[in-house]
Amino acid sequence: MFLHEIFITKHSFEIFNDIILFPLFTVIVFGYMALYLTGSTGKIIADQVLAGMILWQVINVAQYSVGVGCLWDVWSRNLTNIFISPISIKEYLFFFAISGTIKGLIVLMLTSIFSLIIFQLNIFSVGFLNMFFIFINLVIFGFSFGVVMLGLIFRFGTKVAAFAWGLINIFQPLMAVIYPVAILPQPFRSIAYLLAPTHVFEAMRKSLSGQVITLDIWRAVILNVIFLICAVIFFRFMFSKSRETGQFARLEG
Amino acid sequence: MAVLEVKNLTKKFGAFTAVNNISFDLREGEILGFLGPNGAGKTTTIQMLLGITTPTSGTIHYFEKDFFKHSQYCLSRLNFTSAFNNLQGRNSVWENLQVFANLYNVENYIPKIKKLINRFEMEDFIYKSYFDLSTGQKTRANFIKALINDPKIILMDEPTASLDPDIADKTLTFIEELRKERPITILYTSHNMSEVTRICDRVIFMDKGLIVAHDTPLGLTKRIQIAQLRLTFNDKKDVIIKYLENEHLDHRFDGAHVVYITTEEKTLPKIIFDLSKEGIWMTDIEVKKPTLEHVFLQIARGEKYVFQ
Repeated sequence: MFLHEIFITKHSFEIFNDIILFPLFTVIVFGYMALYLTGSTGKIIADQVLAGMILWQVINVAQYSVGVGCLWDVWSRNLTNIFISPISIKEYLFFFAISGTIKGLIVLMLTSIFSLIIFQLNIFSVGFLNMFFIFINLVIFGFSFGVVMLGLIFRFGTKVAAFAWGLINIFQPLMAVIYPVAILPQPFRSIAYLLAPTHVFEAMRKSLSGQVITLDIWRAVILNVIFLICAVIFFRFMFSKSRETGQFARLEG
Repeated sequence: MAVLEVKNLTKKFGAFTAVNNISFDLREGEILGFLGPNGAGKTTTIQMLLGITTPTSGTIHYFEKDFFKHSQYCLSRLNFTSAFNNLQGRNSVWENLQVFANLYNVENYIPKIKKLINRFEMEDFIYKSYFDLSTGQKTRANFIKALINDPKIILMDEPTASLDPDIADKTLTFIEELRKERPITILYTSHNMSEVTRICDRVIFMDKGLIVAHDTPLGLTKRIQIAQLRLTFNDKKDVIIKYLENEHLDHRFDGAHVVYITTEEKTLPKIIFDLSKEGIWMTDIEVKKPTLEHVFLQIARGEKYVFQ
């Protein structure tokens, strides 16, 4: 499957656009906005906004890798060929987890280098160990979200394909990516705290202000483990339903 | 030895029964034709045999192992090709084949892919993206993919659909040659009866989810006892009409000098003899025997016989 991914990536400008160009331009736009904010709010707030957008790209790319990775084969009518090979569901999902992690790492490194050079924000100033936990949590959430999307695609077909790249954005405001959770109205705060990335973004902001983030990271880990287990159970159920109803076979038709 | 054994396989989609309690086996080295009109349940059966649709009930055993308990073992020993599936369109043929060689854990696959590419005369197209290939080239690429793991069984779902007669013939020739090289077992679905007659050892006819006939191609055609006699004569049409009506023979005239007589095959010599005795000068005699296509039409249309 890794060869498969490498070859598709090599031939698809869309993938280069979605995992390299688009995140870079987003970070550049938010970087300049942060520079503008520096004058009125101070550098810490501006850095938090930019760092939030950098980390958001990690979630986005990790979840995109799963859903769109599968859709390339649906669009080519190649999915049956993949699934009648002796690859197991575990291996299939594991591949997407690794693929999402690698792409997330590439995006993190590229956007971090850009933000350091252009905007003088060193996101790794939060500490390498903290950044490791922040990154892993974001990747796990992105992957889990992607697995849920994959389940929906298998169950309901390509009519929900747009979820693979669009649905995550509906949750972005709740995750308090570029502002503190405290900004959200009270009822939304409770929902926001049920999402692991909310704690990760809060941790990032605290860390940039020099505060301890252990508790936030642990909360994120626990929520992520629960979400990951639920996502895999959901996917297996949807996959099983897809084969039962014949939807899987119709995916390519 | 049966390399595939299907018992009481049923698939229901809500109230609709797509496949209704079918059982059959596939013996090592044989080619089994799987025929039936659209909606007969062939494709659903193939999908269940590949594991992409789950049966409502029944069992599938490959190499005496339960498919659903040992799916990876079974899938590593079979492969599939269809006119309706593609390889990854943006990747080149060479890249696609490498991907599948890896998925099937084929050891030392480069020389093997090269050998298959030579076998299918695809040397000039291996670096072209799959979507840029012609239909015939795609079919050949699909065949190479289907052979990459040296499968014991290949399921072929209308592999020659949308191919021109020349490429379709080459494809069939390839299957025949492949069979001479090693004991490969094939389940072959097609709507082309001459293809099925040419390459299949046994044929299963499905209709409305049921197996309605199961025999050799010759055995199936022998089930239709009717044949059609086409006579071209010089004159005395009125004598012929009188004879055919007296004998209560089903007939139809085509112009002033041709008559088609549809009747039991064994009575044809007597008809020719009788008409000759009546002084009819026959300039051409043609006997049209039932083909697998007639069996197909008879099953699909539910008519007693279907000579036109």
